[in-house]
Amino acid sequence: MLGYGGQTESHDRTWGQNALFAAFAIGLAGLLAYQVNWELIGSLDFSVVWEYRLPLLKGLGTTLFLTAIAGVLGIFFGTILAILSQSPFAPLRWAVVAYVEVFRNTPLLVQLIWLHFALPAFTGINTTALESGILAITLQAGAYFTEIVRAGIEAVPKGQWEAAYALGLPDWTRWTRVILPPALRIMIPPLVNLIISFFKASAILSILQVSELMTVTNRISNVTFKPIELFTATAAIYFVLGYIMSQATLRIERVLQRSQR
Amino acid sequence: MRFETHQLAQHYPLLFEGLRITLTICALSLAFGIVIGLVACFGKLRERGIAYRIAVIYIDFFRTIPEVVLIFWVYSCLPLMLSLRISAEASGVIALTLFASAYLAEIFRAGILAVPRGQIEAALALGVPSLHIWIRVILQPAIRRMMPALVSFLTELIKATSLLSAIGVAEMAYQASVLGSKTFAYVEFLSAIGVLYFIIIFPLSIYARRAERRLVSRTAN
Repeated sequence: MLGYGGQTESHDRTWGQNALFAAFAIGLAGLLAYQVNWELIGSLDFSVVWEYRLPLLKGLGTTLFLTAIAGVLGIFFGTILAILSQSPFAPLRWAVVAYVEVFRNTPLLVQLIWLHFALPAFTGINTTALESGILAITLQAGAYFTEIVRAGIEAVPKGQWEAAYALGLPDWTRWTRVILPPALRIMIPPLVNLIISFFKASAILSILQVSELMTVTNRISNVTFKPIELFTATAAIYFVLGYIMSQATLRIERVLQRSQR
Repeated sequence: MRFETHQLAQHYPLLFEGLRITLTICALSLAFGIVIGLVACFGKLRERGIAYRIAVIYIDFFRTIPEVVLIFWVYSCLPLMLSLRISAEASGVIALTLFASAYLAEIFRAGILAVPRGQIEAALALGVPSLHIWIRVILQPAIRRMMPALVSFLTELIKATSLLSAIGVAEMAYQASVLGSKTFAYVEFLSAIGVLYFIIIFPLSIYARRAERRLVSRTAN
């Protein structure tokens, strides 16, 4: 009756709702099947994907490289900034907050084009598309990671801070031995989720023709006139890798939860 | 370098036209996304059966593939496969609807599952009519619980509309890059839209954060 849980529902009504849902799905599928250009679907030739496997794999390599950069540099800068955000010196805290809010509340695409076109105008340094891409994704990752690390740090009970101060532990020991280890446990699931979302976000860099998977797909499709095969294959690649990563995250979360009890 | 404000003064109406398109596309894909998201959410809440499987595959698929890939797929493959003409704006709305519905389905589900089971059982035991249970015991508290997630997803959706500039939808980011290449005043126009995006998104994320904190402190008490 209430649609979930199962126990309170009478069997007939469950069946009825399933039938309704199935009718909806079949109707939708029928409508689509009527519209679909079956001739074209029949003539699809996925061998083009295999033919261009090397450039596609290379593109995937760049995608994974960008993900790794965003993850490693993002966590590095994020941790430093999160520690700075606990500083007693207020302007420093404000600077961290300003950086985090600007990069979290504007689209990556705008940051990317801004860095690529505007930075040279200000500084005279010309960056290649790949460099601008790495810079943009690192800066945004840094902002998101700062938030996560900061939340992790602030979740550490106050008593542990006080104990560290009372024992007169030096700053370095306090951070590495008292504050960061318990914070890390809280941080791990959102950290891994964030890395997955930067795996997805790296496709945005295709706007600047950074040769990652999406750019390569676009180029091959422009040459071979086979967009359906190529874009579908690329979507499948992103899905399979992304799905594996998110399932792994779920498993990590479950293990962490269990070890906490 | 000089910041050429006169270029902004001259061309700002186009930026606001872009903003209007950005917000319209957002509103449309949010509205369609809520409808499809609700269907997918109820499918997944069934926990078994064919409806459940379809909903899970749908949600996982559209949550996992990058938005850019989805946008290009809808823009360049869907019209061919369906032998239909679909404008760039319409493909943008379709792509963002698919994206939004998958995320919204999960947000709705989390909200509904967060309603304490005991309250529903109490209402059932008291013989409250099932429509009434749905509205007062499940939906009202569930909506309150899902508001923070909903609003922070809205900020993601607004950011995602900027990606539609890649298929030539004349939204804000597109206008800024076209104006930039026409006048060579890239810095001015890109900074201007950066500020506009920030003005729209920042209050929403502040609200989401506050609502989240209020919710946590209320459930803690």
